[in-house]
Amino acid sequence: MTRAERRWDGLLFVAPFLLLYLLILIYPLLRGVWLSLHSVDLFGDGRFVGLANYARLAADPVFGQSLVNTFLITLMIVPVLTVIALALALALNRATRSAAILRGVFFSSAVLSVTIVTLIWRFVLAPDAGLLGELWTAFGWEPLPFLSAPNLVLPALAITTIWWSLGFPMLLFLAGLQQIPQDMYEAAALDRASKWTTFRRVTLPSLRRTTILVIMLQTAAQLQIFGQSQLLTAGGPSGASRTAVLFLFETAFGRWELGYASAAAEILFLIILAVTLTQYWLTGRAREGEDGR
Amino acid sequence: MAASVARDRLPPLVWAAVLIGAAIMVAPLIWTLLLSLKSNTELVGNSGAALQPPYTLGNYVAIFGSSSTTRWLLNSAVVSLGTTAGVLILASLAGYGFARLDFPFRRSLFVLVLLGLAIPSQAVILHQHQLFADLGLHNSYPGLILPGLIGPFGVFFMTQYMRAIPKELDEAAMLDGASRFTIFWRVILPLTVPAQSTLAVFTFLGSWNDYWWPLISATRSDMYTLTVGLAASQMNYAQTSGLGFLMAQAVFASIPIFMVYIIFQKQIVRAMAGAALK
Amino acid sequence: MPGLELRNIRKAFKGTEVLAGVELAVAPREFIAFLGPSGSGKSTLLRIVAGLETADEGEVVLDDRRIDTLPPGDRGVAMVFQHYALYPHMTVRENMAFGLKNARVPRGEIDALVSDAAKVLEIEELLDRKPGQMSGGQRQRVAIGRAIVKKPRLFLLDEPLSNLDAALRLRTRVELAQLRQRVDAGVIMVTHDQAEAMTLADRIVVFNDRRIQQVAPPMEIYSRPANSFVARFVGSPAMTILPARLDGGGDFARVVLGNDARVDTRVPRNGLPQGETVEIGMRPESVRVCGLGEGTTDAEVQLVERLGERSLVYARLRDGAAITAEDEGTTSAKVGDQVGLRIDGAAAHLFGPDGTGYHRQAA
Ligand SMILES: Nc1ncnc2c1ncn2[C@@H]1O[C@H](COP(=O)(O)OP(=O)(O)O)[C@@H](O)[C@H]1O
Ligand SMILES: [Mg+2]
Repeated sequence: MTRAERRWDGLLFVAPFLLLYLLILIYPLLRGVWLSLHSVDLFGDGRFVGLANYARLAADPVFGQSLVNTFLITLMIVPVLTVIALALALALNRATRSAAILRGVFFSSAVLSVTIVTLIWRFVLAPDAGLLGELWTAFGWEPLPFLSAPNLVLPALAITTIWWSLGFPMLLFLAGLQQIPQDMYEAAALDRASKWTTFRRVTLPSLRRTTILVIMLQTAAQLQIFGQSQLLTAGGPSGASRTAVLFLFETAFGRWELGYASAAAEILFLIILAVTLTQYWLTGRAREGEDGR
Repeated sequence: MAASVARDRLPPLVWAAVLIGAAIMVAPLIWTLLLSLKSNTELVGNSGAALQPPYTLGNYVAIFGSSSTTRWLLNSAVVSLGTTAGVLILASLAGYGFARLDFPFRRSLFVLVLLGLAIPSQAVILHQHQLFADLGLHNSYPGLILPGLIGPFGVFFMTQYMRAIPKELDEAAMLDGASRFTIFWRVILPLTVPAQSTLAVFTFLGSWNDYWWPLISATRSDMYTLTVGLAASQMNYAQTSGLGFLMAQAVFASIPIFMVYIIFQKQIVRAMAGAALK
Repeated sequence: MPGLELRNIRKAFKGTEVLAGVELAVAPREFIAFLGPSGSGKSTLLRIVAGLETADEGEVVLDDRRIDTLPPGDRGVAMVFQHYALYPHMTVRENMAFGLKNARVPRGEIDALVSDAAKVLEIEELLDRKPGQMSGGQRQRVAIGRAIVKKPRLFLLDEPLSNLDAALRLRTRVELAQLRQRVDAGVIMVTHDQAEAMTLADRIVVFNDRRIQQVAPPMEIYSRPANSFVARFVGSPAMTILPARLDGGGDFARVVLGNDARVDTRVPRNGLPQGETVEIGMRPESVRVCGLGEGTTDAEVQLVERLGERSLVYARLRDGAAITAEDEGTTSAKVGDQVGLRIDGAAAHLFGPDGTGYHRQAA
């Protein structure tokens, strides 16, 4: 065994992954940046236009609205989802059989694909053939046009998404709860802390990092929300539910303006990157805070 | 450390709220199931009929008569299993390399892989699409599988797991005259089975449910996966008005994934515990 | 020359030197113990012999064949690790067979070798168990078994007993001694437990500060320590070493302690270094407690440790120097008592200013 062999054989183990990684992830990433500076369509490599695509995006009301829609729906989903997931985790962190079954029930929707979810919810939300429509009619009300009223469509997509995405945050919170040492609760009990005080002083602080993790993962995920809006409403009515990724999809695969779509993708990338970095920064601080205790 | 589990009883009001929540979770699923058990004609203009008998398995029988749904199921199975196998192989090899071997640029390459964790798929998907067009790989199994293999998470996960295995084992194997690959294959890999199964479940779920990539890569209906096929069916629903059949497709498509979930619940929960710990 | 030879082994980790030119020759079938404080490079040297670490300089030669260029598996050495390093997913049988399989030994032969070793180590009934289902002592035996089946020319053991509880440790020590009679190979065992080294080894190699301090049979290490480090490190409780002044005498050196007490040693006068500053070393058993004024010097008792058949008396001389003495198990000395101490000059050692040890002539 010479030294040189020993040094290079490691590369053989990582090479298969790395080659694919460079070809299928890094190369497209860089090419995207390059393309975003060009005007490209179906028929060729286009010409260099500098930041013109970005300038056009800034002035494009359709893109602007899709960003606003994306932020709005993220704001509707993330806080509600986080609170419900935490509440469920607190309620179901029990060793009983019924708690186990209920955990399974609340997680079950998370394993479905977006197409199945939208298929199901299309026939829950649709006023003529949907479950809610039937319910409303049974109460003698006029069914609400969830998917065709501009002011109802985003909340409808948000509800669908919450129903779909509840499982993983709940499991994360449950795992976080399990890791709180029992002796902290015993100490609190010895101090005659009330339930509420124990929750605020022991449980919540211990869940800080889990909460940050949940919020940031969900934010990053919902900023990329796509299937729900594409499948349920196709972005309608008149763009009221067009999200940023749907804009990207339409620009690239509907109108084949690849340079323009690339620029939009880079903008979205930067926004999500900012969220991810914020998470690292916040968890770093949360960890320091815990070490300081 | 004893795991913290609440021991008090739930207050009745909370209990009621949880049950209502559970009902909201389950109602759409039951509704879907009921719709799938009704004949298409009965449902036209009156989906409320789903609440009363007669029920029939006709729609499910029709699925097996329709070559497209079974073809999509096959495609989904090939793509998901292929992706899972590929991820396990690549991530294990790379994980071993990063965790155990010393080679030039090891640290920088690992950082490069970690950076990938921060790259959202939509930032690259357009250009992956172009790349695969250039390679002529659209509407093929390799085209559907390859982009699923490059997730950095698997490599990161396996690297961390293998780092935790005592180095003495590798050294004992070296003294036992084992080659690098034998050490990897016979000593380290068998010890990573728990991590492999966790990674496998998540890769499988993710691949089975993936929508974005197969949507743009598989444009011929015989190469659709179930997700894309169902998307196409629901877009065309207005024309076909086969509501019962559509819902039967949805139920049919979710059966494999529910089975995977039920069998591998443990791995899912364990992985969540790991994530919360990090 | 058959056996193991280490020639000028040097090793540094990231600029910090750990071994500074080590030379050592081990005879075939010899049992060698590496003894020294932790961090002194014992494991590093062992791992260099095994091939798990590469020396920066120097050669490792086993039975006239240079082995430092060979991969670990081809060196004819076997190792028992501190934490045993059994493969957790393999049965005991598979653990023991693994090395033989890699060496492409025929199946039938492997089975025979494994069952022989299992018989010798009395682990036949464990052969189909996995390491997780065994006690620490059983794992230890399997680890030894895994080394034995390979019929190596040299066994390397890194603190093999340190993970066992006291009782098991003693028993395993005895078993190691017996085992050693049965195998036709040399043994190098790293330990920081001197009792282990003293009972098992033919020769002890004492390490400190990047270097080998002394290589000698156990009793010689104890009675003729090469320097004050070895003198202090070996023996429990430690040898008392006090500053002293050479003061005349005939053929043998006479020294005066700080408090003017006079000790006549049997260390030959000639051969001692120039100058009159030396250190004197006394083992507790050569310092006896006696009545006040009756001994070589007087002292105040600081602590009495009753060990049953004897007692250890920790005392302070008038100038404040600490000294350890021995007394009957039935000693009446109490903390704060003034007592006399009789120093047996014939058993005393002297150390030069550079720490080199000088002893009475060998009998
Ligand atoms: N792989 C390594 N990298 C850096 N330093 C090491 C390494 N292995 C050992 N050392 C250092 O070398 C010195 C000797 O270590 P070791 O041989 O393990 O000592 P011992 O076995 O005598 O306790 C120690 O200071 C230790 O910190
Ligand atoms: Mg050591």
